[in-house]
Formats: sequence, C-alpha cells, structure tokens
Amino acid sequence: MALSKDIYSAFEDVVGPEYICNDPVIMPSYHGTEFAAIVLPKDTAEVQAIVKLCNKYKLPFRPVCTGWTGKFSKGTLYLDLRRMNRIIEINETNMYAVVEPYVISAQLQAELMKRGLHLNVKGAGSNCSAMLRGHGHLDQTTSGDDRNHLAIEWVTPAGDIVRSGSLGSSDEWFCGDGPGPSLRSILTSAVPPGVTPGVFTKAALKIYHWPGPSRFPVEGISPKYYLSEIPPNFMARYFSFPSVEKMWEAEIKIGESEIAFELMGFNVAMVAANITTSNEEEEQTFQRLSKEVQGPGFFIILAGNSAADFAYKKRVLEQIIGEAGGRSLASVEDPRTEGILLCQCIRISASIRETFRPGGAFSSIPVMGQRDLTIQWAIGAGQAKEPLIEKGLIVDDGGAFFGWGVEQGHLGKTEIFCKYDPQNPEAKKAVEDWHNAQSARAFQERYFALLAGPNEEIGRGLSNYHLWWNKIQQALDPNGVSAGAGALV
Amino acid sequence: MEQGALAAAISPDLITVHPAERDRYSQDMSFVNPVRPASVVRPKTAADIQRIVKFANQTGTPLVPVSSGPPHFRGDTVPSVGGAVIVDVSGMKKILLVDRKRRVAMCEPGVTFAELIPEVEKVGLRLNMPLLPRSSKSVVGSLLEREPVIMPKYQWDISDPLACAEIFFGTGDEFRTGQAAGPGSIAEQWAVGAVQKAPYGPGTASLHRLIQGAQGTMGIVTWVSMRCEILPSLEEPFVIGSSQLDALLQMAYWLIRLRSVNECFILNNTNLAAIFAKERPPRFQSLKASLPTWTLFYAVAGYEYLPEERVSSHMKDITEIAQRLGLEAEKAVGEVSAHEILKAVQRPSSNPYWKLRPSGACQDTFYLTLREKLAVQIDAMNVLAEKAGYPASQMGVYIQPVVQGTSYHCEYNLFYDPQNRRELNRVKELSTLAVRELMAKGAFFSRPYGESKGMILNRDAATLSTLSKLKKIFDPNNVMNPGKVCF
Repeated sequence: MALSKDIYSAFEDVVGPEYICNDPVIMPSYHGTEFAAIVLPKDTAEVQAIVKLCNKYKLPFRPVCTGWTGKFSKGTLYLDLRRMNRIIEINETNMYAVVEPYVISAQLQAELMKRGLHLNVKGAGSNCSAMLRGHGHLDQTTSGDDRNHLAIEWVTPAGDIVRSGSLGSSDEWFCGDGPGPSLRSILTSAVPPGVTPGVFTKAALKIYHWPGPSRFPVEGISPKYYLSEIPPNFMARYFSFPSVEKMWEAEIKIGESEIAFELMGFNVAMVAANITTSNEEEEQTFQRLSKEVQGPGFFIILAGNSAADFAYKKRVLEQIIGEAGGRSLASVEDPRTEGILLCQCIRISASIRETFRPGGAFSSIPVMGQRDLTIQWAIGAGQAKEPLIEKGLIVDDGGAFFGWGVEQGHLGKTEIFCKYDPQNPEAKKAVEDWHNAQSARAFQERYFALLAGPNEEIGRGLSNYHLWWNKIQQALDPNGVSAGAGALV
Repeated sequence: MEQGALAAAISPDLITVHPAERDRYSQDMSFVNPVRPASVVRPKTAADIQRIVKFANQTGTPLVPVSSGPPHFRGDTVPSVGGAVIVDVSGMKKILLVDRKRRVAMCEPGVTFAELIPEVEKVGLRLNMPLLPRSSKSVVGSLLEREPVIMPKYQWDISDPLACAEIFFGTGDEFRTGQAAGPGSIAEQWAVGAVQKAPYGPGTASLHRLIQGAQGTMGIVTWVSMRCEILPSLEEPFVIGSSQLDALLQMAYWLIRLRSVNECFILNNTNLAAIFAKERPPRFQSLKASLPTWTLFYAVAGYEYLPEERVSSHMKDITEIAQRLGLEAEKAVGEVSAHEILKAVQRPSSNPYWKLRPSGACQDTFYLTLREKLAVQIDAMNVLAEKAGYPASQMGVYIQPVVQGTSYHCEYNLFYDPQNRRELNRVKELSTLAVRELMAKGAFFSRPYGESKGMILNRDAATLSTLSKLKKIFDPNNVMNPGKVCF
C-alpha cells in the first residue's frame, strides 16, 4: 500500500521531508494498520493542500489528534495533527477560547484557571483534544456534547476552507451559526464514530467561570498525591441512596436548585479506582466501600462564588440529601481523599484508572440524552453483567453503571462498561455478546439506539437519518476520500 | 398552478383563493416587494402538510409556510415569486406535552406564547422567551427564527430552548430531530417514559440547526418540543440606570458569568418608554424624559429550597460587583419600576404591540456582536440615523446578551409613521445603509431578512456554497419558500 515516489514527493512538498513518513518500522507505532503514509501538517494551509492532493490522487485520509481510539482502512493517509497545538485566543470578555486540534484540555484548562475560567473537559481525560465533542464529569455546569462549539474552521473533504458563522462573515469566533441555517447542523455530532468528514483545524469553545484557585495546592509523590488544603468555598462528597429512584430524585432536585459545580454519578467501584494506586488496593477498597454504601450514589462538588453562596448551597444540599435518604460516604469526608478526588475530578485525570487498570481493556455503552430514561435501561444492563462477574470473566464492580446530569439536570449521560482481560478470548466473547444484547434491547424497548450497530435497521428506526447523512457525505466528499470520517478523538 | 390539482391533493375546505385573503399575505410591514400568492391553504394535520409538500414537488409550486398571525415584520412570509401557495399552520394549536419533571413542553406551530405560558405555569414551569413578542407570535416560529431570549443564563446553545422538531422536508419526507427521531413513534417513546428533550442527533448531523434560521426554506415543521425552566418561588427584580453603556455591559457580563440572574438585558430610554407608555404623546415623552439613557434590567430568583437565602446571597455578591463598577441597583428608573418590567417581560406584549405604539410601524435592524464593539456600532448607527434625517434620539435600542454571554444581540427599532411617505422612505434607506455600515464595523447578521440578505450572505462564499449543497438534498426542487435566505 506504499505511495508511489511521485505521490509521496507531492505530500513531502507540502510538509517538508521531516514531517512525512512511510517507514514500515515507524508507522505501526501509530496503529496496527498498513498506512499509505503519515503526514504532520503544521497549519490549516498545509491541511488544505494535503486534502487537495488526496482528492487528486483519490487517496483516503483520516485526521487524528490525541488518538485515543480509531479504526483505519488499509492504505489510509494518516494526518497526525500534533503540530497544530496552539491556543489561538482566550477571550475572557466574551467567554470563549479558540484552539487548534492538538491543544489538550489539561493545557487549556491550566491557562484558563489562571484567569478564573475553565471549560468542559471530556470524560476520556484531560489528555484528549479540548475541541473534542463529548461528555465529561463537569457537564452539570459546563454543558457537553456538541453544545460548546461556537465558530469552527473546517477543511472540507474536497479541500475547501469553510469558516462557520461569524468567522466567515466578520472574522470573529463568537458565533457558529448563520447567516441563515446553521452549518453546525453538520459540523457537530455526538461522540465518534459518527463524525463529520474533513478536518476541523480550529474551533471556538465556550468557557465558564472558575471560582477556585489558579492551581491546586498538590503535594506528595506519584502516585500518592494530596492537596495541602481544600480550596475555600469548595466541598466534595459521595452520597449513597436506598434506591436508584431516590438517587435520581436527589439528582433532579440538585439540578433544579443549581447548587452543584459537578455531579458525577460514580458507582462505588469508580470511587475505589480513583482513591487507590494499585489493583490489589482497589479491590480491597471496593469491598470495604461496598459495605459502607446503602445503594447507588453520586459524587458531588460544591463551589461557591462567595462564602455566602457556598453556605447557601451546602444547606440546600443537606436538605435534599436528607429528603432522599442519602448517606455520606465517610471515606470521602477524609480531607486527604476529598482533596485528591476534588482535584482529579476537576482536572479529569480519573478515566484511565477507572477503565484500563483492572483488566487491561473495557467495553462501554455510553448514552447521552434523557437521564431517567437511560438509567431505567442501565439497571437491566447492569443485571446482565452479573453472570459474567460470577464466572470471573469481567472485573467485579457490582454490576454498576454511572452517569450524570448535564446542564443542571436538563440532559444527562449514562454509561455502563465491562472491564476485562483482552487476552482472554472467552471474556472477550462474553463482553461482546453482552454489548450486542444490551444495545439490541435498548433499541427494541424504545429507549435509544446505538448507532454503531446495523445501520439499515437502526437508520429506518430513526427517521432514516442514515440515508440523509449518506447524501450529505456524498455531496461534501465527491471523491470519497474522507469516507472514514474525520475523527478528532 | 392548477387550483383543481391542489384541491385534489387536500380537502378543498382548507383552501382559499379569495382575493382579500390572498392580499393579506401579499405584503407585511417590512420593505420587501408585495407579491400576491395564488392561494392560501390552512392544513390541520401533519398528513395535510405532507400532501401539500408532495403536491408542490409534483407541480413545482412554491410554498410559503406561515405560523404566526399578523402583523408580520420581516418579509419571510411574503412570497418572493408568483404562483406561491401560503401554507398557514397557525390553526394547528395543540399543546402536545408538558412534563414538569423533565422540564419540557411540546406544541404545534399555531400555539402562541399567550396560549402556552399558562399551560406550563400550571405545572410550575416557564418559557425562556424573547422580549415581549407580539400576542400573535407563534412559539414555534420564534424558536425556528433563533430569536434571542431574555434569560441568557439558560441559553447554553444558540439553538435553545428548541429541543426537537418534526419536519416535512422539501422532498416531502418526514423527519424527527434529536431524541424524537426514535426508536419508535412518539406514542411508543412516551409509553417507555421518553420525552423529546435531547436536541442532538440522530447520528452525526443535528438537523434542528439546519431548519432554524432557514425561514421555511428547508421544510414545514409540524411540532417542536422545547426545554422549560423552573418557575421561581421568589423573584427580586432590579434596574440600574446610566448614561454609560460600557459600565452596564460590564455589570451584565459579571451577572451572567456568575450565573447570578435570570432575566438580563439592556434597553435605551426610547424602548423602555415605548414598552410602558400606553398613550402617545404626551405620556410617551414624559415617561421617556424620566428615564436614564440606558437601563440594565435583571432579576434574581429563588427556587424550591431556601429561596430567600439564595436571593440574599446573590444580592450580596451583586452589590459588591456594582460597587466595584460604581453602579447602584435600584427598584425603579424614572417612572418605571423593576417589578413592572419583570411582570411585563414574562408575558407577550399587550395590544397594540409595543413596537407599533410609538408611531404605528417599526423597522428592526439586528445582529450579533462582541461586547467591546457595541459602543462603536451604536455610535455609527446614531450618526447614520442623523445623516438620514431620522432623529437618533427616537431610535429604540435593545441589547441582549446571548448564549451565556458569548455574544450580544443588538437591535435598533426604527419607529415611524407608515402613512408618512417621507418618513417611511427615510427609514427604508436608513435600514439598508445601516446593514452595510454595521457589517464594516464587525456586526454579524446571523439572521438575514429582506432586501439586505444578499449583501449579508455574499460576504461568506464558502458557507453559501455549503448551504446550497444542503438545500439541494433537502429541497431539490426548491419548492420551499424560494427566494429567501440564499436559495
């Protein structure tokens, strides 16, 4: 699948010899696919030139930035966007930041916190692209999905540069919609694999007020970190409830009262993962915490803009928790544990421990939308995990799911996953079967549809969206060079 | 167009060709050229609408959807071409769902704010509304037009508060956006406890964004769902008057950034007087004379839990900000109390519509912009007005922070006497000149209406080209409101 010398040379003309590679030893370090070549453009102009060449030579391409996931067809030109890592602008007056694709959330958040601001960091982690669309622990007060994007600079699959909204008309980033119908209708989506073809080269993101310190007072030595003090007007707690219904009732009241800075519906297995530093310690902690909790629960962070605001929020929280029969988990009240959870769950460094550490792999069903509805479904999906736990095929997490309210409970996210050993074929098969069965049940029982499934059946059940999307793709990508879509994970 | 053919497609009872009826739709209060439609149809159901759109495709008949009652102001409901059929859906008035727990309501396109507000209030909800819409304004129409809303704190995305929609595209195909898409029919979704709340998807596209701002050029909407907010149990409204707009803008910025307030907007003295003076003159002039040049209005609210404590802690924080900016919050400006403003803006305008009260007609020029550009743009508009012979002091100005303060809707309301030809021509000329001049100063006309649309859209060829590709997919025969936006 190697490129001919002439074609390779054409791409080399764009990025220079240092930023293109077809070395069969180096390329597999990206992914286990036989790529045509790897190119590393430095800016929008180079991306455009590369995409134009791809059209000329009918060569499929895929842009990738922080690269957490991705499946690639053989012979794909891999656009590694790591050189496009500039924060273009932080506009405090109008509450947005403009970034290139390889700016990671940790980098942008650190800059924002110096200015009393922050952003929505996706649950995949702060090491992922800041412009990634998706959901995260902070959704309660920083929204999620495709709703934080303003203007976007986009190199279309045909190699045209489209600058949406105010960017195209007045060279400013504050609005991504219009004139007239919004191109955000096709430039944004739920999480991959369903993503827009082409390459997003810059995006403006909404930013939010941060009432905390410019940096956390972290002390200790890896992996045993702690905060020297809890920042003023901050508090983190974990509450468990007698039932899922009571938990949701509390969650809704908290959303309506607008008191939570973060509400993360951790299950106790995830708490255990976050406050421990090894699998052995995690397992022991999980067993201990499982005895302390009375049922499902959530982790909550309160943050006051002032002492009075903080005091008010604490009082409301106490009342809501009391009414729902909630109980605070004593372990999290320990300032050392509280502090590090507070830090991890705002800087969003928790995911890797929760997902990869115990088994080496995980298979997840994330669902965005209506929180109570997806909880209903997730209860069944959790019960379906139990036989796998009993057989030792997946890590014991009590069959739990997790999730959180988005935009003060208006929307929500629920997710459930199985952690397993990918080297164990029986475990792998059992997890695949569980995934397929629970996805099918969600569709058949009218809860929601996972779009990674069989497209025809699901498409027909969802207003034939797939047929419309195919037409859009064909119109935008006449040469079919971006068929794998432009994942920016 | 063959009238008989349309009558064969849908019930003849729904069609009218009476000249007086057609004349009603041939012009509005904007300056677009009058064009008389061939007929008017008033569908009652989604099936009627689908039949009409299919008929239009078979016969190449232009369709112009209309959801609000008169008067219309923007030219988008006046046909741009001859032979058009007006599809007036204002008679589709069902309120389909109000769900307190999920904070969502759903209604057909003929439902007005005055009709929906009491229904959502019954269960303790409220709408995030535009500023004092006219009493005949359709809720669906307002949402599809991306009208700014007065509680920027709750506008997370510019598409808010729209949640989901059902539409018949120009092809005649039915489509439901967001969570409403499926699986299952709406009835099946309700049966399992699903409401139509999540706006994104299905799949990669979020097509509610395509039909918003489209002025009916992509299809006809048969219902929408919208997010609602909790009705506060306690509200404390305030006003801050000043001749210094910048100080008020800074104040508004912090109120929104800290999420301390619900309603939050700025009006100049002409607009505030226009809203509250029921007679003109002398009441309008005396009221206006009592008002400061600019008034920032905001309301602090408490909900179910400890409302007094919430309001008091917010007020304490707000007082500190005001003091830092050298401002003072009060309960009234001139002869208008903050409480009166709060009560007024939580309802549609009383009749006659506030924009018609000062002079009988009004032309609006509005755009989105950055906070720091507002002062220069308003100065430029004042100079332009004076040059055109329109006294700048008579011009209404409304500034609405939008999408949680990421930009600002700025609206100039040019009140004029429609019987006075000279005045009318002056306003017409001024509104065209204003678009050109304000664009040069960074104004972004995200909702291009009327004669200036070409000037606005031609600045962004790449967006135009992409929109044209989309239009060809969803309305390949260009039957949906041809001549509007860029189609």
